[in-house]
Amino acid sequence: MTRAQQQLSIGVLLASVYMAAFLGLVPLPEKIQNDVIPVLPLWAIVSFGCLLLCQLGWGVLTFNDVPEAHEELMKEIQEARADLQKKGVEVD
Amino acid sequence: MAINKALDRIVGLAMLVLATTVFLYYTIWTLLLPFVDSKHPIQSFFPAPVWAIRIPVILLLLGGAVVGSFLSVVMIRSNRKKAAKARRIQAEAGKKGR
Repeated sequence: MTRAQQQLSIGVLLASVYMAAFLGLVPLPEKIQNDVIPVLPLWAIVSFGCLLLCQLGWGVLTFNDVPEAHEELMKEIQEARADLQKKGVEVD
Repeated sequence: MAINKALDRIVGLAMLVLATTVFLYYTIWTLLLPFVDSKHPIQSFFPAPVWAIRIPVILLLLGGAVVGSFLSVVMIRSNRKKAAKARRIQAEAGKKGR
């Protein structure tokens, strides 16, 4: 089973469960049915956005500088630039 | 170098704190408040529930508009550059053929 198939099947499962709850096919207390169920998709989107922001913030927080890789990269860029200019390709 | 690192740390921490706060506030607002009495003091921290729907929808639409406009500007600019380049090459080819 490919990853896409797995994600799709989980998505279909969640969608059908929500659909059953939304259409009132499952007897739920009235408070929950009227106030909570309709807002769940929007809540999911907002929470997903917060999760992404958390992951971004965590990545920025724990990212450490790597000076040797920086030097190496600069050197490679210069070599590539010189090489391309020799061959006549315009470099910025 | 060190101050860049400190700045990075602050930005990352700020994003983390903001995301957590927004998540907790929105979860309480939409999922927990319906079960709380209307007389409870905590209700004073949250505006009316309608806004719990309006604000994210407005932000999503605004975000979509910004992303869409940025994309269109970049594509228009790139097409203009491509058209100018094609015209230039045509002109040179025409001159050489003469």
